[in-house]
Amino acid sequence: MRARGISMLFAALALWVGPAFAQSLQPSQPSQPSQPSQPSQPSYSADGLYNLANSYARAGKPGLAVLNYERAALLAPGDPDINANLAYVRASAHVPMQPRSRLAGLVQAISPTLAAWLGVLGLAVVGMALVSARAASRLRWLRGGWIPGCAMLLGVALIALSASNAMLLWPRMHEAVVLIDQAPARVAPVPMGDTAFVLREAESVTMTAQHEDFILIRTGAGLTGWVARASLGAVVPPAGND
Amino acid sequence: MRRQIKLIIASLCLLAPVAQAMAQALDALSYETVEPPRIKLGESATLRITSFGRLKDVALPTIPGLVFEPIGRSQGFDFVNGTMIPANFILIRVTPQFAGVFTIPGLTPNSGSIGLEVVKGDEPDPYTWRNQQPAPAPVPTATLPKGVQLQAGGAAFIHLAIPAHSIYVGESVPVEIDVGIRPGIVTSVNGLPTLKGSDFTFSNLSTKPERREQIIEGGNFVVLTWHSALAAVKPGDFSLSTEAPLTVKMSALSSADRAIASRLAWPLLQSMYNGVAPRDMTIESSPSKLTVLPLPTEGQPGNFSGAVGDFRVSSDISPASVAAGEPLTLRLHISGAGNFDRVDSTMFDHLDHWKTYPAKSSFTPVDAVGTEGEKVFEQPLIAAQPGEQTIPGLEFSYFNPNTRRYERAQTPPIKVTIAASLASGTFNGATGMQSPLGLRPDHRPAQYSVGDLRPLYFRVSFLALPTTLALLLAAGWFAVRPDPARANLKAARRALAQLDAAARAGDFMSFFETARHVLLQAFAARWQIPADQITGAELKARLGTTGEELERLFAIAEEARYSDHPPGGADFQRWLRLIRGQLAGESR
Repeated sequence: MRARGISMLFAALALWVGPAFAQSLQPSQPSQPSQPSQPSQPSYSADGLYNLANSYARAGKPGLAVLNYERAALLAPGDPDINANLAYVRASAHVPMQPRSRLAGLVQAISPTLAAWLGVLGLAVVGMALVSARAASRLRWLRGGWIPGCAMLLGVALIALSASNAMLLWPRMHEAVVLIDQAPARVAPVPMGDTAFVLREAESVTMTAQHEDFILIRTGAGLTGWVARASLGAVVPPAGND
Repeated sequence: MRRQIKLIIASLCLLAPVAQAMAQALDALSYETVEPPRIKLGESATLRITSFGRLKDVALPTIPGLVFEPIGRSQGFDFVNGTMIPANFILIRVTPQFAGVFTIPGLTPNSGSIGLEVVKGDEPDPYTWRNQQPAPAPVPTATLPKGVQLQAGGAAFIHLAIPAHSIYVGESVPVEIDVGIRPGIVTSVNGLPTLKGSDFTFSNLSTKPERREQIIEGGNFVVLTWHSALAAVKPGDFSLSTEAPLTVKMSALSSADRAIASRLAWPLLQSMYNGVAPRDMTIESSPSKLTVLPLPTEGQPGNFSGAVGDFRVSSDISPASVAAGEPLTLRLHISGAGNFDRVDSTMFDHLDHWKTYPAKSSFTPVDAVGTEGEKVFEQPLIAAQPGEQTIPGLEFSYFNPNTRRYERAQTPPIKVTIAASLASGTFNGATGMQSPLGLRPDHRPAQYSVGDLRPLYFRVSFLALPTTLALLLAAGWFAVRPDPARANLKAARRALAQLDAAARAGDFMSFFETARHVLLQAFAARWQIPADQITGAELKARLGTTGEELERLFAIAEEARYSDHPPGGADFQRWLRLIRGQLAGESR
């Protein structure tokens, strides 16, 4: 009777997770790599963004190229072509690139989507291991103890992997790429504000605040200033806005 | 007596206004000066109050920026209209605190205000008269160059200055042509000097020669100097001279006529003056010897272009780093002294991995005739492929007349970094291949896409999933909480099955041992006390007569454990009923 209940719990989980997983992936329209154009409906794919970045790079627009490479790398962080072209365009634009630690590279080798699902799987495994251990008094196949232990270990590892991936990716949610060369960073969020320093095209900055048409940014060197919103492209655009 | 007193008083009353008027008049006879009226900041001026009467103490004025400090008072004389009049003076030191023009009001009645100008530095005094025109320099005295004689009746001379040493064919050497003329007698110079001889080339002369005045042999001369460069076209010994056309006022009379006329008195002397008229003529310099040597044929480099002189070469390229397909400029700098018109270089006709274009040259002279300066050759180059590339050094050959041999000057190789072109990536669609220009090719069209770039774990809709999952698992954890009653029932059933089996097999030892263990465990669970604390008294107290039966059962179990013979009273069915009844009561 109890075993039947547990089986029903698994079935319910499968019915819940399955549609959600299927909904996270939807067919896309092939992008047109030869023409730098923005799709009317936000629909992102790593290959499409990569091809779009390539076309911008060939058109001599390193800012837009780096922006789309960054977006593509967000979806497919382990793609060697994306990383190589991103490094190449940055080097061509004389923009320094922050080296990534080995741990960060290892954790970010998997895509965030996969990391998210692995985290869910880990949570399910840990939960089921706990429930199973609870019910082990009447389930002979669980009496041995090593099966719940291994499952618990695996689940915790998956959750840790997902959490690490999320923590490392969190700063990139506020990153932006400078789209205009010699973009002025002003001391105040007004068009006539004094220029504190200028930004190089394709340079990555961190957005910390915003005021009307200006965004307060912080560079890798720690400089802060207000930059016109039109001069920046957010790596992760706000929902409903490309 | 009283009348006299009245008369004195009346006189005093009458004289009082006069005395007052005189006193006022004496006070009015005073004036003030400040010396100097224009000072620098940091200096002090002296304010002097001159009075020809009784001089009272004056109150120092208060003027922002000026500090007044009394120096003292004195007596002396002042000159008025040439008359020396006794006067009193009060001297006050005035020290400014900042620059500007200050007005000091009159310190005595009826005296006017005076001004004081304070300047910061050495600004010119606008009130001081200066002659802006410098005094003309005295005309220097000079002598005629060696071998040069006055011509045109002593009114002009011409001189050609050439190197005293021998020169080589093609060598460009500077020369100077001096034409001296007496102003007023030589009315015009009708053209540029020309070189006599077709075996030389002569660079163009300037239409504005250097001009200087000199006193030569007692007469004022204007000396015009042309600088030029001369080059021989063939070897040999040559005689060089130059000539210049002039217009000179000269007498038409012969020397004998002039001698006669000079002895006659006026008006016959007038005929001599009437004979002076402008006359065009050409003056020619004395010939100068010049030896021209041929260039040696031995050791002549193949790329020798005819350059003769002393040169230095260098090269540069700009920009130092470009992308493939973008032009850069290679420059060859040739500087020094020599015939730059023969300095030539084609730079690179062909260069591997580079596209070459014809070179252009420009010459910047540093002297008037162009024998010294720098010639720059510029050649546009376009790199065909990225990477660090080395442009070979450039070579320039020339003949050095100082060392009398051919020399090869070479520039060092230049390294340039060529980045890949962003605008010429390949589109072959093959993945994983590095294009020759650095940009990896496109990918095939994507199969799947997402509508939001935010990772799933940052979306609220997705976070609901693990939350719900955690809640479900927590519910499951609580749902599978173990039920001790059910566990005891199942354990009792298993124990009764074992007892039945032992009874059928006649295994009294196993039967009683199992029965004792099962009952103790059941009572321990029922009464919540440890099994080893359940004694016979406890059984009697809790179960009454049944307790006595169970105590006997435990005693038989003890006996069976330590004896090989069957204990008395081994009625399995009776004991089974008792045990089942106890376990069934527990399960209920």
